[in-house]
Amino acid sequence: MKTITKYTLAACVLLVLCAMSSANANPGQTDKILPYPIYQHKLANGLNVVTVPFDSPGLAAFHIVTRVGARNEVEPGVTGFAHFFEHMMFRGTDKYSKEEYSAALKSTGAAANANTTQDRTDYHMTGNADKLELMFELESDRFMNLNYSEHEFKTEAGAVKGEYTKNFASPYSQINEKRAETAFTTHTYSHTTMGYFKDIVDMPNQYEYSMKFFDRYYRPEYNTVLVVGDVTPEKVNALAEKYFGAWERGSYESVVPVEPEQTETRYTHLQNGTIPAYLSMSYKGPAFSDTAIDMPALDVLASIVFSDTSDLSKKLVIEEQKVRFIGGGAYDSRDPNLFTIQASMVEKEDMAYVMKEIEKAIAKVQSGDVDKDLLERTKSNLKYGFAMGMDTADAIAGSLAHYIQLTGDPESINRLYSLYDKVTVEDLKMVANKYFKPERLTIATISEDEQGALK
Amino acid sequence: MKHILSGFISLLLVICATQVQAMEVVELKLANSNKVVFKVRFNNGSVSDPAGKQGLTYATASLMSQGGAGGISYSDIQDTLHPWAATYSAAVDKQVTTFTFQVPVAFVDEFYPIMKNVLLAPDFTEKDFSRVMKNQQNYVDQIVRASSDEDYSKFALEHQLFSGGNMQHLRQGTSESVKGLTLDDIKSHYQNTFTRHNVSIGVAGNYDDALLQRLKKDMSKLSGSAYTPATPSKANNANGIEVEIIAKEGAFGSAIFTGAPLAITRADDEFVALMIANSWMGEHRKAYSRLYQKIRQARSMNYGDYSYIEWYSAGGSNQLPPSGVPRASNYWSIWIRPVQIATQLQKQYEELADIKIGHAHFALRMAIREFDLMIKNGMDKEQFEATKTFLRSYTKLYAQSPAAQLGWLMDSRFYGRKDYLAELDTLLDKTTLQQVNNAIRKHWQTDNMFVTIVTDVSEAKPLADSLINNTPSPMSYSNLVKSGLPEEILAEDEVVANYPLNIKKVTIVDSADTFK
Repeated sequence: MKTITKYTLAACVLLVLCAMSSANANPGQTDKILPYPIYQHKLANGLNVVTVPFDSPGLAAFHIVTRVGARNEVEPGVTGFAHFFEHMMFRGTDKYSKEEYSAALKSTGAAANANTTQDRTDYHMTGNADKLELMFELESDRFMNLNYSEHEFKTEAGAVKGEYTKNFASPYSQINEKRAETAFTTHTYSHTTMGYFKDIVDMPNQYEYSMKFFDRYYRPEYNTVLVVGDVTPEKVNALAEKYFGAWERGSYESVVPVEPEQTETRYTHLQNGTIPAYLSMSYKGPAFSDTAIDMPALDVLASIVFSDTSDLSKKLVIEEQKVRFIGGGAYDSRDPNLFTIQASMVEKEDMAYVMKEIEKAIAKVQSGDVDKDLLERTKSNLKYGFAMGMDTADAIAGSLAHYIQLTGDPESINRLYSLYDKVTVEDLKMVANKYFKPERLTIATISEDEQGALK
Repeated sequence: MKHILSGFISLLLVICATQVQAMEVVELKLANSNKVVFKVRFNNGSVSDPAGKQGLTYATASLMSQGGAGGISYSDIQDTLHPWAATYSAAVDKQVTTFTFQVPVAFVDEFYPIMKNVLLAPDFTEKDFSRVMKNQQNYVDQIVRASSDEDYSKFALEHQLFSGGNMQHLRQGTSESVKGLTLDDIKSHYQNTFTRHNVSIGVAGNYDDALLQRLKKDMSKLSGSAYTPATPSKANNANGIEVEIIAKEGAFGSAIFTGAPLAITRADDEFVALMIANSWMGEHRKAYSRLYQKIRQARSMNYGDYSYIEWYSAGGSNQLPPSGVPRASNYWSIWIRPVQIATQLQKQYEELADIKIGHAHFALRMAIREFDLMIKNGMDKEQFEATKTFLRSYTKLYAQSPAAQLGWLMDSRFYGRKDYLAELDTLLDKTTLQQVNNAIRKHWQTDNMFVTIVTDVSEAKPLADSLINNTPSPMSYSNLVKSGLPEEILAEDEVVANYPLNIKKVTIVDSADTFK
């Protein structure tokens, strides 16, 4: 109890300190994990505009979060398309050709890029806050008026192939692909964000589909503008009205197929002897939610059972030295996704033993055998770890973009951390019993053997 | 006798005080920060590995940062740190080893003794040694070859470029050398090269002066061994273009990295002139660099193409240059990310069924030709002004977090500067177009350089033949792309396909034989 009080007190001090560092901090917000006010303004066309003033003199991080990713690739033959389309967004408009866009971007002195995941594409640039209007102009132009030729489209597909080629060098990339297609039979989480190589090779033939893709998703209702740094909400909102006010709403509603209940443990294996033998156990978990206790409880469970400080890691990595690394956690996503535990083995022969040890560690939580003090220490770790990481405009924007992709609302971050505080041993027991069942499990292995050893 | 002793003690105190005073200290007070970041740096790095003991500095730092300390086991230390989310780690580069500690302000006093023990009283137990060494051995035996062909090609290039010198080997060592490392080696290396004479300290965030004084005093208790940092070996001059092809089973593409010695570093003002030229030619991960536009954007041959005038750590994941890798022995380089190989292209497109090699020869020709054009023509006024303006803004992004700011400040001291990023702005402002074009001609040439290509076994021999014979290497587009290419691209391709390279030597190495 003494320990708990100490951590709670220290957490309050931490939050107050964070709040003090923002000139615009609202004292009423000090109970939130993010001690900076989040200003939200919705344009008439549905575009959400989020501003977080932060003490980064002269710098601003500008993001547009498009809530479209591999999840939306519902038609056959277009896996990897959301990511490919992210590439196409750099191919110019009538006003700015790709060369002019590059030159204009260079003139901002910004670090600009984009990336795509299963649920979203995030376009971001961090640079001079006094170039904010140019950033708005460039981004609104391409989001509203992207225009590329069929040849440009076909050419860019080669860069995606190059990206796949680069990634393929890692056996872990290969097992990720196998795990996804084994764990999911129907939902689009069955393929990776990169997509299947055969679809990537065929991308140059999908020009017409790309027009449809842009028309569907590059609309205000699918996007959020997020600016963090040396800015004010008044300025950001005014620029958003000026540059995005005329953006027309779309009408497309993305319908993603629902994954049927899994009924038995599934297996997949990659034969590859160039890296240490590898074991992963992926259980079907919940979708992200900032109101249900399930995901926060699983996050806490992941830290208690599978982090470096867990009993399991101490036993397998430090004491017995049968495992090089072990870790586990739930994947935050819009639809139910996987909770994956991974272990890199010292000797492949120990794989069955390590799996049993993982199951024993899970069974312990399923029986409610969790130390309450450890639970509080873990909550403390989550909070301090997050707070220390929020030390740049980039880091804050990146974190908010994550929650915007999940719920559309950056305040989810504060709600999630409030839920962490509420997690009890009973909650851990509940989620352990609900999700860690053999019929929800997919086992993926890598070893030099032709067949996986665990089936 | 009493007076003599007292005199001796006084002398001792003076020496200690001098040593404390001589210790480089970098301070960065941030009153609103919720944490304190410490960086403790030793000027040793992998160049200080004794002959035959390659990887020893890495092993020593790993055991310090991943083992017990002060009689407390590693597990117990981690348990103590867990609720604070405090962390520490060690990073070993060629010339420095940097320990970074991070802790919330609220726990800094309790954290400090742990940090002190990690640095001053590592336990060096057999059990921790066994665990840490298994991972280091596995890295040099397997991971370096199997996780990223791009990084593999970069490390392999350094192996060629610095052949015979102390900059040659992987920081983790070689398969053979790591097998031979003992716990006694680590203990003596710790005593000999992690000393109070080669340590510098940095602290950033919300800390008080008493804490800094305590740290300075404690660091003066490090080993007093007379250690002189090893001089890093210079990059070799290639005899013509010397290509090493690493043949790997199951590679999907050809990963290319090239390099040649560079006489200047951040310590030289002239480096800034070359920085402008390099940014225009190949700024890291930027679509507005020349190589990117030519190889990726116009021809979509790969995921990106960049050039460098100093080591850029973990380029595949870092968007901005990290601190902690200062080097006095320098080279410039071109990074061509994996391009397609013949067997893959044959499978993908019927019209390419007869090709003998993939895109590596063409890509290499194109990149080198771009450098040749730049060396011949220099930059023009418009390119120069736009790039200078960009860099004056962009370089301010390098150090945003307290840890990054501290790291860049400490790197500044390595190069004899106070605050490189701040000085850089002034230097950029003062640099003229003439200086840039002079620097290009003075420091860049493409007649003599080393090239490393990691590729599939099937590609190795045909590619080697094509390279050594300067065989024309026409770009093999799919019909889908070729049909839309403008005339000027096709005409330029013709020139590139026949562009002569001064290739004097091509060797094929089995992947299994690298880093032995």
